[in-house]
Amino acid sequence: MTLAPDAVARSAQPRLTIPELIDEATVQAIAGEAWVALVGEDEVLVPVPGDLPAETLSAWVDVVGPWTGSVVLTTGRQTAADLTRSLLGVAAPELLDHEDVADAFGEIANVVGGNVKAALPGPSTLGLPQVGEAPGVRNPEDVCRLEVLWRGQPLVVSVQGALPALSTPHPNPPHPNGASL
Amino acid sequence: MRALVIDDSRAMRRIVSAALEGFGYETRQAGHGQEALDVLQEGYVPDLCTIDWNMPVMDGLQFVSAVRANPAWRALTLMMVTSESEQGQIVRALAAGAHEYVIKPFTADALRDKLALLGMLPEEAVL
Repeated sequence: MTLAPDAVARSAQPRLTIPELIDEATVQAIAGEAWVALVGEDEVLVPVPGDLPAETLSAWVDVVGPWTGSVVLTTGRQTAADLTRSLLGVAAPELLDHEDVADAFGEIANVVGGNVKAALPGPSTLGLPQVGEAPGVRNPEDVCRLEVLWRGQPLVVSVQGALPALSTPHPNPPHPNGASL
Repeated sequence: MRALVIDDSRAMRRIVSAALEGFGYETRQAGHGQEALDVLQEGYVPDLCTIDWNMPVMDGLQFVSAVRANPAWRALTLMMVTSESEQGQIVRALAAGAHEYVIKPFTADALRDKLALLGMLPEEAVL
């Protein structure tokens, strides 16, 4: 097999890690804007680290492009449910089911991830939101980790590289939003 | 006026629908592009479609192209409402036939402003 000249040039370029492309302040600005628009006008993310509880839930989207990895939100399960209620507002059902939480938390990850993607070199593709156990960190040097508090509860936004590279997001995954709940 | 809200997120469909209903729209919802096409083919022709980009089965760009390929739906106003915010994606959507592009996260006021630009605010929302 013969590689095209542009492919050879691309493969020869050093692969940038996420700290070279985006910083915590940018991730916090993106997440903060998403919170105000989706969760509520008065909802703020305080940049203070906190200890995640034993039972956590993660929502993430994969980004595939010049930088490949995932944008992962992780928080306690109860906090994820509280986020869902805030997102849905008066439309929230009296009893939330797992699908409600997966859908709403996944959509928040989708919005944060889409705007993180826009801050990175492109073009890139964005996968559908997934919810469940967070994907593992593959390269500790390719991570931008933001720890915040929302209503006093800890939440982590992790922009983490994927090595080896993730495959291109499948356009029609069988169960978006529904994993591992 | 009638709107079809197309998004794979149930939460986002509720949020967009609530905003549009606040402006005076009657709304229906679809979870992906193919479901939305099915709604149109059943004979429900709205004035406005709000369209997410990344969805299973049929994505928003494919939906826009399918609508634009059918002369019967020429009058439909198509508004992308998506977290895809790269300039290249916006250009692709507009080139495919979308009229307007709203980037998530958005506020109800931002949505209202975009609708006003398109002349798509019901009279009661203008007053």
